[in-house]
Amino acid sequence: MVFEKIAEIIAEHLGLAADSVSRDSSLEDLGIDSLDTVEMVMQLESDLGVELELEGKISTVGELVDFVESKL
Amino acid sequence: MINSPICGLLGIEHPIIQGGMAWVSDGTLAAAVSNGGGLGIISAMSADAGYLSRQVARARSLTDRPFGVNVMLMSPYAGEVARTVADMGVSVVTTGAGNPSKYMKMWIDSGVAVIPVVASVALARMMERSGASAVIAEGGESGGHVGDTSTLVLVPQVCDAVGIPVIAAGGIADGRGFAAVRALGACGVQIGTRFLVADECSIHDNYKDKIIKASDIATVVTGRRLGHAVRSLKTPFSRAYLKAEYDSALPDEDLEKLGVGALRLAAVEGDAEHGCFLAGQVAGMVKKRQRAADIISEIMAEAEVVIKGASEWAV
Repeated sequence: MVFEKIAEIIAEHLGLAADSVSRDSSLEDLGIDSLDTVEMVMQLESDLGVELELEGKISTVGELVDFVESKL
Repeated sequence: MINSPICGLLGIEHPIIQGGMAWVSDGTLAAAVSNGGGLGIISAMSADAGYLSRQVARARSLTDRPFGVNVMLMSPYAGEVARTVADMGVSVVTTGAGNPSKYMKMWIDSGVAVIPVVASVALARMMERSGASAVIAEGGESGGHVGDTSTLVLVPQVCDAVGIPVIAAGGIADGRGFAAVRALGACGVQIGTRFLVADECSIHDNYKDKIIKASDIATVVTGRRLGHAVRSLKTPFSRAYLKAEYDSALPDEDLEKLGVGALRLAAVEGDAEHGCFLAGQVAGMVKKRQRAADIISEIMAEAEVVIKGASEWAV
């Protein structure tokens, strides 16, 4: 469920089809920089109703999914 | 006299914060800015905690007024430097080149006022929630590490998004710029480029000359390919770097190596060929060398004239 939500947000952010985003996709390869990541995390917070304290560097979609799931 | 909530918050006379500039913002410059009524900032740059301790001691020997430290989050020593800021009882910390979330609690628990430099609304909101005392909304006109959004566009959106004071940075070098960002909702400014030519700034004379001679189109942004965009003066170094960025045959690691040591070469050696002279777009407006205190009083006096005069614009 978290993966689908994140894929949807990324796809919307980048103007891509949601099925073109996989767990292995690297944020850098997708063209997502650190400011984009912060923006998406803030959006995830309001959509999922959780507080996400972004501390370490996140490199792939899968890492972002794991991070968010660990906070739910 | 121009009032601002950040003066009371930081214990300063004028709402001008000096930019944290690597190889530029040392204890001497920070003390000069603080003695002039602004908030001087020591850059911890990519040096270790020992360097920072010496600069803090230097500033304390030159001023009794508050000053701050800028922690560059991409520094390999960011962790130990962050600890030193808390241990030495520095009153204010500004942060740059990243998200300081992991240090926020330690600083706030130690009584340090945290003022992160942000280049987006989302980061500003995240910082407010983490306990920041204010944020510096820095537009892409700035020198050094930059975001894409310009000051005119970023500042009002950050002001709308957060309840804490917003300080504007990027493209401000005189009283007109001060008044303009005040109109956008900012209650103070961060200024870097104009302090490069302060008498108390210890950079090489060639660097100061380049700033004084710079025109309105004198700067360029490099480093986008590696995700670390940096604005500097157009020089043989920046032109060669820009060209290398577009060379797809050149691996990222080699591109990264091209930039190593270039800031030091500019600031310390004044090496016009190989140095990277960081500067904001506003370099074109910096035309004279002055004492830091005179820079501050001149900006504040100009701002007052503009702000008072503005009432005549509406009838």
